[in-house]
Parts: sequence; C-alpha cells; structure tokens
Amino acid sequence: MTTGTWRLTTLVIRRERLIAPFWMALLAVLAAGQAGRYAQSFPTARSIADFAREMAANRALTAFAGEVHSPTVAGMAVWKNADAIYTVLALIAILTIVRHTRGEEESGRAELVGAGVIGRFAPLTAALVFTAGAMVATGLICALAMISTGFDVTGSLSFGAAITAAGLVFTGVGALAAQLTEGARAAIGLAALVLGVSYLVRFTADGSGLTWLKWLSPQGWSHLVRPYGDDNWAALLPALALAALTAALAYLLAGRRDLGHGLIPQRPGPAGSARLRSPLSLAWRLHRGLLAGWSVGYAVAGLVLGALARSIPEVSRQGASVQEFLRRYTASPEASMTDAYLWLIALSLGYVAALYPLLALLRLRKEELEGRAELLLATPVSRLRWAGGHLFLALAGSALILAVAGLTLGLAAGDPLGVLGGTLVQIPAVWVLAGVGVLAFGLLPRAAAGISWAAFLFVNLFGEVLGPIMGIDYWIAKYVVPFPNLPMVLSGEEFGAGPLLVMTVITIACSGAGLTALKRRALA
Amino acid sequence: MNTAISVQALHKSFGRAHALDGLDLTVRTGEVHGFLGPNGAGKSTTIRILLGLMRATSGRVTLLGGDPWRQATELHRRLAYVPGDVNLWPALTGGEVIDLLGRLRGGLDASRREELLERFELDPRKKAKTYSKGNRQKVALVAAFASDAELLILDEPTSGLDPLMESVFQQCVVEEKQRGRTVLLSSHILSEVESLCDRVSIIRAGRTVESGTLAELRHLTMTRITAELAGPVPELPWAGGLVTEGRRVTFQVADHDLDKAVRRLSETGIVALTSQPPSLEDLFMRHYESEKSAR
Ligand SMILES: Nc1ncnc2c1ncn2[C@@H]1O[C@H](COP(=O)(O)OP(=O)(O)OP(=O)(O)O)[C@@H](O)[C@H]1O
Ligand SMILES: [Mg+2]
Repeated sequence: MTTGTWRLTTLVIRRERLIAPFWMALLAVLAAGQAGRYAQSFPTARSIADFAREMAANRALTAFAGEVHSPTVAGMAVWKNADAIYTVLALIAILTIVRHTRGEEESGRAELVGAGVIGRFAPLTAALVFTAGAMVATGLICALAMISTGFDVTGSLSFGAAITAAGLVFTGVGALAAQLTEGARAAIGLAALVLGVSYLVRFTADGSGLTWLKWLSPQGWSHLVRPYGDDNWAALLPALALAALTAALAYLLAGRRDLGHGLIPQRPGPAGSARLRSPLSLAWRLHRGLLAGWSVGYAVAGLVLGALARSIPEVSRQGASVQEFLRRYTASPEASMTDAYLWLIALSLGYVAALYPLLALLRLRKEELEGRAELLLATPVSRLRWAGGHLFLALAGSALILAVAGLTLGLAAGDPLGVLGGTLVQIPAVWVLAGVGVLAFGLLPRAAAGISWAAFLFVNLFGEVLGPIMGIDYWIAKYVVPFPNLPMVLSGEEFGAGPLLVMTVITIACSGAGLTALKRRALA
Repeated sequence: MNTAISVQALHKSFGRAHALDGLDLTVRTGEVHGFLGPNGAGKSTTIRILLGLMRATSGRVTLLGGDPWRQATELHRRLAYVPGDVNLWPALTGGEVIDLLGRLRGGLDASRREELLERFELDPRKKAKTYSKGNRQKVALVAAFASDAELLILDEPTSGLDPLMESVFQQCVVEEKQRGRTVLLSSHILSEVESLCDRVSIIRAGRTVESGTLAELRHLTMTRITAELAGPVPELPWAGGLVTEGRRVTFQVADHDLDKAVRRLSETGIVALTSQPPSLEDLFMRHYESEKSAR
C-alpha cells in the first residue's frame, strides 16, 4: 500500500529544494536574530527585567505575543517572535501538505503517478514524511540557532520542540482537510479556518487573562511549553496526539475515497444560466466562496477581539518600552490603552486582509495556466475586461471584509462608528498589495505566486519583526510598508486623507502598469 | 472578401527555440481547411497567434480581414474556438459554460443548443469537474456550433470523442459548411480530414510543406506495386522501398515513372500484379517521417 513512497518523497524534495530552505532560514532568523538584537539593546539583567515587567503589564501587547515567561534575553526574544513563528510555520505546513496531496490530484499528476508501481497510500505518506520532516528540521534549526547564539540548551530545545509541534499539528490538519474537500483551495481554506480559530482562542486567552483557554488552542500548546521558563514538555503531548489523530483520519479517508474526489458526492446543477453573461459575473462566481469565507472569519474575529477591548487595563506610562509602544500606536497623550489596543487590532486586520486581494488575483494566473483564460479570451472579451473583473472583485472584496470586521469589532467594543472608521482607513493600504499582485501578474507572470506571497510576508514581518532584527529603525518601515502611514484615527490622530490618496494613486499606477503589461504579453 | 485566414512567412520563437519558421497558410471563405502536421509541428502555436493570444515574432497574419493581435476583441465576435485540451471551470455545470461562452459571443441559438445537446448526448447539468475528457470537449463543441460565428477554429476537437460522437461531429461540420461558414480544423485523424476537408495544409517543424486539395496532394505521391514475375526481378532504378523475395517484388514508384516501371516488369513477364493508389496515410507518413531524417 505504500510501495514507492521513497521515490515519491525524493520527488517532493526535488520540487521543494528551493522554497523549503528559504522559509526555514527565514524562521531561524526570526528566532535567533531577535535574540541577538535584544542582547544588544538590553546589556544588563536589570534592563531586560525592566523591559519584561513593562511588557507583561501591557495587555494589548500580551494578547498579540502571549505571556512573558522568562525575563531574560532569550525569553523575551521568544516572547516577541514565537507566536509569529508558530503561526507562519503552521501556514507553511498547510500550504505544503495540501500542495503535495490534493494539489497533485487536482492537476491530474497524481493519476499519472498512481498508475505506476505506487501504493495507494504512497502519495499521502510521501507528503507527510516530507512536511513533517521539514517541521522537525525547522525546529532543530531554530534551536541550533539559539544555542549557537549562546542561550541555554534545554530552553533552546524546548523552543525548537514548540515550533515543530505547531507545524506538526497543522501538517495533520492540512492532510485531513485535503481528504475532506474536493479542491486544493477549499482544503487550504478549511485548514486555514482551523488555524484562524486556534489563533483567536490563544489571543483571547492572553488578552483576557483567562490563560487556561490556551489549552484549547494548538498554538496555545506551543505557548504553554514556556521555553526558557519552566520548559513544560507536557504541553507537547496534546499537539503530538492531535497531529497523529488527524494524520490517522487522513489515512482512513484516503483508503475509502476515489482519487480526485472528496467525501461529498457531486449533485447535478442547473442546466443553464441566464445570469452568467459577463466576465465580471463569472469572476463573481469564482470569488464568492473565498469572499464568503473571509467575511465570516472576519466577522467572528471582530466580535471576539472587540469583546476583549473592554478588559484592557491601563498601565503606568513611565517605562521606556511603554513609551515606545505608545509612540508607535497612539498619536495623542490622551489616547487610552484601550484605544491603542483597538488601533493595533484594526492594523492587524488590515495586515492579514492584505492576503485577500493577492489570493483573489492569483486566480487570474491559475485561469491562465489551466487554459480557461484561453477559452474566455477567444470570445470578444478583452484581456482588460477579464483581468479588470477580477481586480474589481479583489478590491471590493477586501473593502467588504474590512467593513464587516469593523462593524462587529465596533459593536463588540461599544463604539460602532468610530471603530468602523478605523478599519476602513486600512482599505487603501490593503489595496496597494492588490496593485503589487496585478503588476506581478502582468509583468512577471511566472513569478507572480512567489512575488505575491513574498510581498504579503514582507509587509507583515518587516515593520514589526524583520526590520528590528536587521537593525532597521521602526520608522523606516513607513517608507517601505503602507500600514504605518495610516492616520491612527482610533488612538488620537485626526483623519487626514493625504496618505490614503497616495496609496490609492500607487494602487492605480501599479494596476495600470500591470494591465498594460498584460495587454502586451503572450498568454501561457 | 474570399480569404478568411491568410498567413505569410510567419515566425515565432520562444527564446532560442523556433516554433514557427516561415509558415504559410491560406484558408478561403466557406471552405473546411485541414491543418495537419506531426506533434510539435506548430499547429496550436499558429492557432494561438490567430486568436491573438500570442504575438508573432515576424510575418503577416490576417484573420477575417483584420489583425488578430490588435483587433482581437472585434474579430472574436465573428469566430468560435475549440481548444484541443478543454479545461472548464470546475464549479460550473456544462450548461452554464455553454450559456456563458454563447452570451460572451453575443448570444446563441437556444433551439440549436438543445438540438446539439441531444445529438452529442451531453448532460448539461453535470459539474464540469465530473465530465470526462470527451464530454468536456463536447461542451466546447456545442458552444461553438450553437454560436453564429462565421469562422470556426477547431484544434484537434475530436481527440477524445468516441466513434459515434466523431460521426456526429462530422455531420455538424458538414452542416456548418452548408451554412457558408469557414472551418479551420487541426486534426490527426486522417479519415476525418479525408471526409471533411476541401483543402489541407501540412506543416512540419514550423514550415508549410504541402498545401492544396487532397486530389492535388495525392498526385504528388507514389503508387505501391506488388508483382509476381515469371523470371528474376530486373533492375528498377525508379523504385523506392524495394523488397524482393524470390520472384516477388514490392516497391513504390512516382506517378511519372509508373509507365517505365511496369514496362520493365512486363519485359520479364508478369504473373500477378496489384497496385494500390496512394492512401492518405502514405501521404502523411512521407511528410511525417521525413521530419525524423530532417532532425
Ligand atoms: N510557451 C512555449 N514556450 C516554449 N516553447 C513552446 C511554447 N509553446 C509551444 N512551444 C513549442 O513550439 C512547438 C510547437 O508546438 P505546438 O503546440 O504548436 O505543436 P502542435 O503542432 O500543436 O503539436 P500537437 O500535434 O502535439 O498538438 C513545440 O516544439 C513546442 O515545444
Ligand atoms: Mg496542438
């Protein structure tokens, strides 16, 4: 049943040989680079302990990063970046396992392989072996990076294990989702939903002080390992158990269903359609599932995060770190800690929403590669109308999900209109990413997927995470990433249309250039 | 206007690889034109240039009197295209795809749509992802035949159809021709070409090697002779592919040497003789095989 697994595994390794080392290195830099940075900024045990105390008291920050477990350089580095590492690695695990299971089936390559001397379970096993192996490798590399920076071996190993655990859980979840749904995109969506819920539960736990809630979240388990604190290895057990359980269920389902199909059989649909009459109406059909998923997810996130706003306590504003925090996220001394928290949430909703237009626009590339664009463009539909329809929905969709989240966040926080405004100002910043997506698709179609994901990660990691590690001042991010330029309308800044207009112009310019390039290039 | 498609000295290179190397193609209005050539000869590439999906590196291309790259949208109002590899939107049903493509082309004939669905035995209520390859092709064919396009560009449209559906397809093409439409048909199925096409163009390695009616092309080729002789086989300098087995001989000979060859045989004395007119297969084999030696 698993004949040929090793051959398939080597095939997977070959296909991942460029991408996997890249993200492994990125995560190791996130782990150890931050520690190196803190070691410079806080040369004495006292200074790092002061920093830890200030941060631990700041509920708005602990909600994002988790509890402070160890007032040391290593402990604070983990505190700062571990949550990002766990989440990014979980996302990578989902994308990788789905790409090599459901993605292969969708492309028909699995059929070619399945007809060879290959056991029924070999493709799933190969994908699991590679992905799980990569998760272990990532944990080890991060641990080694910490050890070689000079930190405690046990703590470094438990940190590595916590990283691996987060990756393994979502390897299993992704494998299971790939068996349940019929398309790769749906599988990624389902697994990402689990990741999102898990994130929210962990966030709520640390934001509300109900820390026991962390036991209900896979990322929470990794947080509970408390590296460089008391190294609670027992918290790894539920992670390993869930990873094993989901993988086992994936095998069970893989043994029962037909290649290329999901569990739910197809029902007949309409014999025709009067509504599908334009490229836009077709694009709407293709996007509405994605949009519905994001809208529901964002509505729920808004509610949960908004409810937490009421429990953010005030803290003393004396310490240097608190001052820096306020400098980044508030614009007036009158702004309360709750205001800072709400602006952080609005910003985060914007940062994550930046993925939406990129995903929506990558459909264009998929349509092109899979020959459906050819079918459409051989009718009197111009390339501009075709791509324009998708672009319109990418822009309108990202505006809609932010509006939805703004409403629920505002309702739950008790300031519906104000908070809605705070999330709506994110729209032009998110749109800039749409511009990047169109530009990549028009100008460098082969690299479009890579550029889109890289742009998303860069925007998310640069200002808060990568920049500081590389020694780049936070305020430099303003010139590179759109979000820090937004008027902080929730924390004391007057609304100013200037930056929003500039971002809109950038979006228009990039989209225009991308569409012009698309008009001139050959279609794949 | 009596040329639907006119291509002269068309070149297309992908980096260093030359997919098209001076291709010529003329399709007259109202004819069914066969477009043939071995795998990788450049048929699909030519069609994609005709559709304005790709730009020619050099050469003159006129489609329905216009420039397919610059006037793509206007020209597409007047044509329908069926790709060789039909990929549909997995979540749409076949009927929805047919309606969509029809509407985009400016409407389709509802009664013709029903009739075609019935003739092709296609269930329009199935989701596209559950269709077989042949059924996906039928979806594109129904959409094309139900449109009122004046030019049909079909790239190996029957590679997945069963023999019964193949004959339905052939009837449909004949009907289209009777309605005065022009068809460019790329195909590897010789019987289909033989029964449908008024004229054919054969291309090889990106170049047109032969173009004309089938009768004209046949004329250029060889007759196969098998003879049993009364004595030893004589010298036959005009013969190709000569095989001798005792007094039996099989060879091919060009039409203009046929007379000389048969005279030489009868000098020895003919016991039995069969001659086969050149089949279409022979015709193509000659072109397709010489490609191997050309490379
Ligand atoms: N996008 C591309 N990039 C590089 N080479 C290409 C590209 N598209 C086609 N080619 C090359 O151009 C040549 C012609 O290909 P084309 O698809 O036109 O052949 P074809 O005659 O349609 O063959 P078949 O009968 O197999 O369908 C081939 O050698 C192919 O490899
Ligand atoms: Mg072809």
